[in-house]
Amino acid sequence: MTTTETATEPTLRVYVYVWLGMLAIVAIEAVLVYAHVSSGMLLASLLVLAFLEAAVALRYFMHLRYEVPLLFWTLIPGLLLAFVMMNQFWADAARLNTLRFPIP
Amino acid sequence: MSDSAMTAGSMHGAAMEPSPFLITSRKLTMWLFIVADAATFGAILFGYGYLRFGSPNWTKPFTFSPNIINGLVMTVVLLTSSLTMLCGVAAAREGRSGATMKWLGATILLGVTFAVLHLREWTGMFHEGWSLSKNPMGGSVQVGALFFSITGLHLLHVISGVIAITVIAIGFRARKFTAGHVETTGLYWHFVDLVWMFVFPLLYLLNVR
Amino acid sequence: MTMDSVSASITELPPATPHDHAPPESFLRKYVFSLDHKVIGKQYLGLGLIAVCTGMFLSWVMRYHLAFPDKAVPLIGWIAPTFAAGGVITPEFYLQLMTMHGTIMVFFVLTTAPFAGFGNFVLPIQVGAEDMAFPRFNMMSFWVTFVAFAVLVAAFFVPDGPPLSGWTAYAPLSAVGKSSGPGEGLGQTLWVIAIGIFCIGQLLGSLNFIATTLDLRAKGMTLARLPYSTWAWFITSMIGLIAFSVLLPACVLLLLDRVAGTSFFIPAGLVVSDAIQPHSGGSPLLWQHLFWFFGHPEVYIAIVPGFGIISTILPAVCRKPHLGPKVLIASQLAIAGLSYMVWGHHMFLSGMSPSSATLFSVPTLIITIPSAIITLLWLGTIYGSKLRLNTAALFCLGFVSVFVTGGLSGFFLSQPSIDTYLHGTYFVVGHFHFVMGVAAMFGIFAGTYFWFPKMFGRMMNETLGKWHFALTFIGVYATFMPMHWLGLEGNVRRYSSFPSDYMHGSLPLHRFITYSALFLGASQLIFLVNLIWSRFRGPVAPDNPWEATSLEWSTTSPPPFDNFGGVHPVVYHGPNEYGVSGPRGDYIMQTDPPVAAAPAATA
Repeated sequence: MTTTETATEPTLRVYVYVWLGMLAIVAIEAVLVYAHVSSGMLLASLLVLAFLEAAVALRYFMHLRYEVPLLFWTLIPGLLLAFVMMNQFWADAARLNTLRFPIP
Repeated sequence: MSDSAMTAGSMHGAAMEPSPFLITSRKLTMWLFIVADAATFGAILFGYGYLRFGSPNWTKPFTFSPNIINGLVMTVVLLTSSLTMLCGVAAAREGRSGATMKWLGATILLGVTFAVLHLREWTGMFHEGWSLSKNPMGGSVQVGALFFSITGLHLLHVISGVIAITVIAIGFRARKFTAGHVETTGLYWHFVDLVWMFVFPLLYLLNVR
Repeated sequence: MTMDSVSASITELPPATPHDHAPPESFLRKYVFSLDHKVIGKQYLGLGLIAVCTGMFLSWVMRYHLAFPDKAVPLIGWIAPTFAAGGVITPEFYLQLMTMHGTIMVFFVLTTAPFAGFGNFVLPIQVGAEDMAFPRFNMMSFWVTFVAFAVLVAAFFVPDGPPLSGWTAYAPLSAVGKSSGPGEGLGQTLWVIAIGIFCIGQLLGSLNFIATTLDLRAKGMTLARLPYSTWAWFITSMIGLIAFSVLLPACVLLLLDRVAGTSFFIPAGLVVSDAIQPHSGGSPLLWQHLFWFFGHPEVYIAIVPGFGIISTILPAVCRKPHLGPKVLIASQLAIAGLSYMVWGHHMFLSGMSPSSATLFSVPTLIITIPSAIITLLWLGTIYGSKLRLNTAALFCLGFVSVFVTGGLSGFFLSQPSIDTYLHGTYFVVGHFHFVMGVAAMFGIFAGTYFWFPKMFGRMMNETLGKWHFALTFIGVYATFMPMHWLGLEGNVRRYSSFPSDYMHGSLPLHRFITYSALFLGASQLIFLVNLIWSRFRGPVAPDNPWEATSLEWSTTSPPPFDNFGGVHPVVYHGPNEYGVSGPRGDYIMQTDPPVAAAPAATA
């Protein structure tokens, strides 16, 4: 059994820092909810923080930072394209409210 | 040098082109599965956004105590389980079997804790009258439907992950599985954690009364 | 990252099991639950053959009824006495037939045969591997797909019969349950479960294809030297990876709507069969979005393997290199990306937001550019070549013809203003049967005539093959071309008959289509006879009957269990070395040793 990539393997200390950082982001999210920001602003900031956490989890916990760049380029842009395209859903979600008969 | 066990039925490494990603097929396949699964969660979360955006009578079911406190504890538990998993992978790489078992055991325990906390919350909501088709607050029935189906899908992933880690841990001790298997399972476990980083803010924090 | 650390990381495992699976002995392990990709590929093709016969039979019943609405359909009263008593086709039964025809054809023929079937058989050999990366996943993939087919066909045998909501299963018709029509009870539930299972099977297959293509390539088989069919299957897998994983949750949500009382796809206040539905707050359009988000990439899952098959066969029959191989691959990659941007063009009539209709129309027009580039590359490859006009070549030419014919009507349909008129008519039926159905079928036929010698070690009969091509080609145009005229006249689709209304005048044309469809179906008997006769009585095939270059032709016909008889092939050339002078003649096989002048090819 050979040890792998010891040169590029982050130490446990890095992982603990990342873990602490993610806990901090979760704390910020929770505080934001009670900070009387508008709902649109809340949604936007929660999404930004969630994507930040996802990026950190991908890069460090899931090790993507230490793989060859091609792996990232193969996996992630296509997925993001799919998600970007799904934003076409919103136009119809908004129309639901204008086309529906008022609820009695 | 042989990597014939790298993939079942493959040939000898010297007779093959290296993978463009320089990782094992097993790990690549786990990555591809994660991409596919991410599309699944993405689609269902977009569906949630669509129906919520289109529901004028959406109701927000959660209060700080107990729901959000519970949710925060669950988040910390799941995040910590990612950390113990990382320690387990590191120990497995160094060939420390005892330490690997200890860390994987901790991960399993945290995973089970998450599932128990989740199910306890579900039961509480069922008692309040929530279900897939009922909203005790009188608003849109989509609230319960979406909450239970999305968290249910995630919970299914947590439970599958706990089972997978258990199997891998037992196999690792019996020297049937290797550090590579532990690492690949870890990849999946971190993904379950990653999905929760979207589910928690979107389903819990945006539904605080 | 240095190469040393890399090779250390991918050789972390002890060589515990040098041969994961030895050649199996028992009948069950050899032919039924086989781990051998060649057997699994044949199983997929067999499943596709059963499915296509079923689907074609259903279309005959529909066509007969359309042409002779007041006559009983022969035999059908005896086959399905509960649904069509005395052979009379009710409008509901017509829709049930249509639903099953579409579902079986799209999922179990156009997806399984060109992608899973040929891909399984050919791809591992073309990259120089002994088997797929994960043979057990591979076996699971087939049997999961088989279970899906069994569950779908089971809908014929439940009391209310199969569903009538079309292969797209539009909500709320598919979501509210029994009250919305015959087959919408248990039949529709079986449909949803079948398609959900099918998604899992194809996801397993896609994972396996990608891992095999990237990781199990023989020495020297760089990505640039992969045969074009392997590229096509690889790109198809990448499309399927995301497409099927979006359809899967959609099916789960639809199932919950049906069995758990949720209302994801059912709006408030919906009245079905005079009863107000106990649902509220859902949106039928959400189902359409999720379905077509899968559905359009699915079109490319059906047709891109055909691109690959044609691009592999054409240079071999033209005896000259394929024009612009890099452009070919780049165009297919562009199609893969664009296929996720255009799904809304299936929904112009659905009440979708008109502004997003524009946003879907533009990428739809753009996606014709890479498609046109690929077609022009084929024409450029054919141009000025010494074409060996065998059956496989004929079907390649036929593929180009029907693909262009179907593609041209796509230009009209991609524009919302024109599509609004044409979408509900036979124009669309003609369009998608040409561009997706028949084109993919021609790809399957070309692949069959081309790889049959490799699969079974015997040649197919060329005379029968040419007759098969000629009659099929005529039958296809006679069947589907008039549908465009019907559509322009305003003949709506999905109606079971037009006995006494404004479309009565179109009845003669409908009859002509029906006769053509029966003729087209009957001419497929030639193919079946050829298939069975050649399997047992055909002349023994040499290793490389087509003088082609890719790796499958450098092993025996049929290949041994481990594909290369214990030898690890080493690749020195690309797949495109035609029209050159080599020791073999006008081509150089990928495994041929490098010629003295050429630089040594080690990646």
